[in-house]
Amino acid sequence: MNSLLWARVSLLAFCVLGFFTPDFAHAKKLRWGGDSEGGAPYILQDPANPERTIGFEVDLVAALAKELGIEPEFVQNQWDGLIPGLKRGNYDVVVNGLEITDDRRAEVSFSDPYFVTYEQITVRKENFDIHSLADLRGKIVGTLKYALAERILEQQGGIEIRGYDSQTTIYEDLANGRLDAVLLDQPIAVYYGNPDKRLKSVGKPVGQMQYGMAIRKEDKALLGLVNAAIAKLTLEGKLREIYDRWGIWTPMLADYFNDPSPSRPAVEYDAYIKAMGIERGWKEKLQQYASYLPLLGKGAIVTLELSALGMFFAVLVGLFIALVRLYAPAPLGLFATAYVEVIRGTPLLIQLFFIFYGLPNIGIKLSPMVAAVFGLALNYSAYEAEVYRAGLLSVPKSQLEAALSLGMGRLQALRHVIIPQATRVVLPPMTNDFISLLKDSSLVSVITMVELTKVYGQLASTYYDYFGIGLLTAAMYFVIGLPFVRLSRWAEKYFSKGRAGIL
Amino acid sequence: MIGTWLLVDLSAKRTGMKPLISVKELKKSYHGHDVLKGVDLDVASGATTVVIGRSGCGKSTLLRCLNGLESFDSGSITVAGATIEITEKKHRKSERNFQKNAKKIRSNLGMVFQSFNLFPHLTLLENMIKAPMVVKNISRAEAEQNAEALLKKVGLSQCLGRYPSQLSGGQQQRGAIARALAMSPRVILYDEPTSALDPWLVDEVFQVMKDLDAEGMTQVVVTHELRFAREVADEVVFIEDGEIVEIGKAEQIFSQPRDERTRQYLGRFL
Ligand SMILES: Nc1ncnc2c1ncn2[C@@H]1O[C@H](COP(=O)(O)OP(=O)(O)O)[C@@H](O)[C@H]1O
Ligand SMILES: [Mg+2]
Repeated sequence: MNSLLWARVSLLAFCVLGFFTPDFAHAKKLRWGGDSEGGAPYILQDPANPERTIGFEVDLVAALAKELGIEPEFVQNQWDGLIPGLKRGNYDVVVNGLEITDDRRAEVSFSDPYFVTYEQITVRKENFDIHSLADLRGKIVGTLKYALAERILEQQGGIEIRGYDSQTTIYEDLANGRLDAVLLDQPIAVYYGNPDKRLKSVGKPVGQMQYGMAIRKEDKALLGLVNAAIAKLTLEGKLREIYDRWGIWTPMLADYFNDPSPSRPAVEYDAYIKAMGIERGWKEKLQQYASYLPLLGKGAIVTLELSALGMFFAVLVGLFIALVRLYAPAPLGLFATAYVEVIRGTPLLIQLFFIFYGLPNIGIKLSPMVAAVFGLALNYSAYEAEVYRAGLLSVPKSQLEAALSLGMGRLQALRHVIIPQATRVVLPPMTNDFISLLKDSSLVSVITMVELTKVYGQLASTYYDYFGIGLLTAAMYFVIGLPFVRLSRWAEKYFSKGRAGIL
Repeated sequence: MIGTWLLVDLSAKRTGMKPLISVKELKKSYHGHDVLKGVDLDVASGATTVVIGRSGCGKSTLLRCLNGLESFDSGSITVAGATIEITEKKHRKSERNFQKNAKKIRSNLGMVFQSFNLFPHLTLLENMIKAPMVVKNISRAEAEQNAEALLKKVGLSQCLGRYPSQLSGGQQQRGAIARALAMSPRVILYDEPTSALDPWLVDEVFQVMKDLDAEGMTQVVVTHELRFAREVADEVVFIEDGEIVEIGKAEQIFSQPRDERTRQYLGRFL
């Protein structure tokens, strides 16, 4: 077995050296994609130091990168967008609990499996009826949406399935009786089910699934390198060592890797349980919350940048569109009307996906930040255009005529007479739109931006604390928006000069 | 707009005898409804011409055509030697061309509206200096000096820093007249300048117009105030149904109107 593996490694290494793709050869870094909201033990924010990203897959990639002789670089991406992000070239490999399936194989190549696992049934301590998949019939069972477990439950039939978006709340609902059982990947059960004293795992392993690293089909050389490295890490026991430390070594893995030796202490697992289980007084709790602030602050800055830039361009484009709609000859005006209707009539989410993942098909590849600003500006420019149109129309036509009869040209009249008066009318709805944009900017996490809401998701899923961190995040949004509300009040007053009662 | 706008600068050929405004065969319709049915009108330099007639007869339309706020179907308008002419449906010229010509005509015309139309977001002084600074590139200092002199003339020296909303209707209208004067026009057109005013404010506005008449300003005034027409007008124009029924010296119109329709309109006032 060992000699066979070695032969494979050297053969692959040989092939790979011959076919080194220029793209990858020049890359100084191993850019890998994953979602740090995915939770323990895959990729997560370190509960002891929220600015660090940890997880068995982080360790795995570190070992892999070392093997390849380059630095790893983590690229955050929404879990269900990991494959589009890979194809788009945001990163070169996905390592994030991606099960090897035929559907996915049609899109990307997979490395040899680096991890093999199964679905685990978890129930409440006092439950003695459920021992197998068959016993779940007629019961309410929770699982993650779109996971293998969900398909298994569907095939089993007669089960009331509750699909969740995040694992953190599933086991809580089991413990408090909303669910009769949970079926989820074994590592998740180990980290989220087992630590809860009210719960226990029962029954034999259900099904089997293999995690592979996803790589673009054309990156054959990289695939070869990765497979060689996985084989080498397996052979040297480094893979095993990582799984031991994270406490996820199972008989199934022992079988798969043909390694019956006993497990070593699960140091990472213990550290995690310890960090999560610390009983904190209010002082420690405050310190804990304070420790989130740098991360939330970074997210808030990204949110602010995005929103301010987005609004700036939305205002410029919106004003232009409104002027064209009102004053340009018919064909141009029709075009502007169509622009408003189309942009306003389609969801921002779709626009963002289209800009980020769709445009590369015609050769336009934007960075996440540019794509995000572009998307927000595009979407809001349509709303702004309508606001400005209404504002301009609110100025009586007689004002334009007075300006023209004083000898001003149309543009001069617009600039000196119409727009200043329209501004007053337009400011309150504009402020509204800005606040709304500030909140809509949370949508850009789907195109890999890590802004305030994303940071919230990461922290909350790490600490199971959607409440406290949620309040903190909400407060941050509020604080970001506040200066703009003030500014707009002041500006509104300024532009209301001359109106009865306001001087 | 179908037709050709021709702008012919005749200033070189101008003689002292020529009228300052000359309207020929002016026709205008809205959706097939004829509002002006071929209006011919000359306004002599220095004269105050008062236009009277029932509501809806086309007085406002005539004034708006005069300063290019409204286009027309055919005819020509000459103001201080510059002409816009529409020869019927020969060529199609661009809207831009019309705007350009209208702008040129406008540079000699001031307009005073029934609803004053001061710019509400600007103080009275700013209202006065905006157009001179923007259109004529006059420095702020010079524009302000000029504006202050004009406001003094219409009795508003105390109101420079006030916004229109802080002025009475009469003050606003006097301000609007001063604002028109600030562009040094050759003619001022008034469209029912006192119709929106409380009765006791009417005279202060008419007084300003009388003063201007005395100074030799050329004025065309649409009004229902026959008293003003009788007192101030050099010529009175009576319009009915888009046509000029009668033009004459004020004393003639008010003492012995030639047309029966004029007589009917003036009715009690005779
Ligand atoms: N923009 C317009 N569209 C259609 N009809 C109009 C328009 N402006 C004026 N009219 C019509 O033209 C006629 C003359 O209007 P106007 O010149 O305002 O009359 P006056 O000022 O003498 O009261 C009226 O019958 C009026 O209804
Ligand atoms: Mg009228």
